[in-house]
Amino acid sequence: MPRAKYVIAVLFALAALLGITGWWLYRAAQPIEVALYFHPFVGPEPLLLNESRYPNPGGEGRFKVRDFQFFLSNIRLTGGTGVYTEPDSYHLVRFDGAEPAFGIVLHDVPRRNYQRIEFGIGVDAAANKSLAQRGDLDPNGRMAWNWEVGYKFVLFEGALLRGNASVPLVYHVGFEENYRLIATELHREPLDSRSARLDFRVDILRLFQGSTTVDMAALPSVKFDRADAALLARNFAAMVTPMWPDAAGQPDGAR
Amino acid sequence: MTRVFRLRLAVAAAALIAALLAALATGACNKQRRVATPLTGFSAPFVFGHFQVPADNPLTEEAVELGRRLFYDPRLSANGRVSCSTCHIQRLAFTDGRVTSVGVSGQPLAFNSMSLANLMWGPQHFFWNGRAATLEEQALIPIQHPDEMAQDLGRLVAELSADASYREMFETAYGEVSAAAIARALASFERTLISSNSRYDQFLRGEITLHPREELGRKLFMVHPDVKVSLRGANCIDCHSQFLTGGFSARYDGFSNNGLDDEEHLQPGLQAVTGNPAHRGLFKVPSLRNIALTAPYMHDGRFKTLEAVLDHYDSGIRNSSTLSSLMVEADNRGAAAAGRISLHLTATEKAAILAFLRTLTDQDFVSAEPFSDPFARP
Repeated sequence: MPRAKYVIAVLFALAALLGITGWWLYRAAQPIEVALYFHPFVGPEPLLLNESRYPNPGGEGRFKVRDFQFFLSNIRLTGGTGVYTEPDSYHLVRFDGAEPAFGIVLHDVPRRNYQRIEFGIGVDAAANKSLAQRGDLDPNGRMAWNWEVGYKFVLFEGALLRGNASVPLVYHVGFEENYRLIATELHREPLDSRSARLDFRVDILRLFQGSTTVDMAALPSVKFDRADAALLARNFAAMVTPMWPDAAGQPDGAR
Repeated sequence: MTRVFRLRLAVAAAALIAALLAALATGACNKQRRVATPLTGFSAPFVFGHFQVPADNPLTEEAVELGRRLFYDPRLSANGRVSCSTCHIQRLAFTDGRVTSVGVSGQPLAFNSMSLANLMWGPQHFFWNGRAATLEEQALIPIQHPDEMAQDLGRLVAELSADASYREMFETAYGEVSAAAIARALASFERTLISSNSRYDQFLRGEITLHPREELGRKLFMVHPDVKVSLRGANCIDCHSQFLTGGFSARYDGFSNNGLDDEEHLQPGLQAVTGNPAHRGLFKVPSLRNIALTAPYMHDGRFKTLEAVLDHYDSGIRNSSTLSSLMVEADNRGAAAAGRISLHLTATEKAAILAFLRTLTDQDFVSAEPFSDPFARP
């Protein structure tokens, strides 16, 4: 009899172990959802569209933002144990909706110990040449220049007010050499809860303030001039930064 | 072994009998209510991009044919004299040639009749101010509008139910005669109105080359001018997409203030729908497909000719608070910041753009039998 008791106890322990292992395996196999939120700022202030309130970074006057959109592409989560690549990862980030922030939800992300998040600002060369409609890429959309040139990566339209004069501002930045990859350490943000969330600051002012500071009166538009586009692209690499504590100060592309 | 084999045989036989029974049952149901036939062989050019048909209104042969009849049937109006086709005439690419349309009341409407082509692409907000979110929603509005068709939906359903052939068509397509079914049928017919065989389409498919003048016009159409790199352009593409030549589909990107009126005279436009002051004076950017056939132009039909339209964009833009920076800034001479808004196109360039616009005419579309009046006798 004591022998039978012993056997039963061992069986129970085994069953419990199996149960826990099973639960753990099951949990580990369950994909998670990761939400990315992008919060628009102009310098220290949250973005308010259509208000001439932001000082010209390199000169006189105040500017307003009428339209601002940019492509955020090829989102990847990487770590020691695996890589997640979002399929058809082309998002047109914009802030003219009802929500103050722009959200992107990554579905069916395998549960791994991710350490970095990567994405591009703009459109990679292959997709930029293609007419295929993937993600938010749309050859008949507002961000398409035309099929010979590809996509605008970042679109800023607005006006600079200097005294009574209003100068139209048009910054359309594209061209494949200006595609920028940004990588950020996740640090203390383990992506293992059922639905993780990452918040980013999008600082529109960084377009005009960085390696070069732009006087909007002197450079009110950037379109097809490669040197001007490259200048803004060097700046926009630092436009999107993580908002979580301990985040790496400078994204890769900003060097 | 044999036992296993026998067992398999039995299972197979049972499955076969079950399948037969199921087939018989379906057949019996079919006798009671015929099932609509999904539309096959339906396609559109790759460059138009994705399109969506609502899940609750799939395209079927019966729905499209019913929609076509309804579209041409004057019974849809209170006085029995106005049909959808009164203001949307096929040979005019489904416009009516009037400044603004006239319906049963005889009172001119506020807006110019809009061409009906390639409606599954571009802004999915219908009417010039975008007040209908679907073609289904759009379809019932003119029917009931007191100046357009002034019809009571209950009366219309009763009238159509009394017609045996309509009753049968409705039953096959939607199971019943109802206002919702009328809307769905009209929307289905409209979704099939695809214009994709203009000379521009043939050029895009690599079948033809454009004449040098048309090609110059195409290049100008597709470019926002940039003096800094000596690039001349007419900035049409800032609002009219490169392949569809209509407004952009994302959110309200397909609505624009095209400088027709100054601040004082700006109409509400899209603001009437969204309540957003930044949308004041914005109207839906129409497709330019068949534009040579759809005079007069603009939401209020104020321009009689395409030449007048080009003159407007070249040198007639009126400034206002919601005018796009792109319009103000676009200038082939590069003096935008100072004073008058003008593209400064040359006469040759304007003629070239007109030549390109004429390549958007699709004779097949305006003569296609499936889009024509089913009541007409040959």
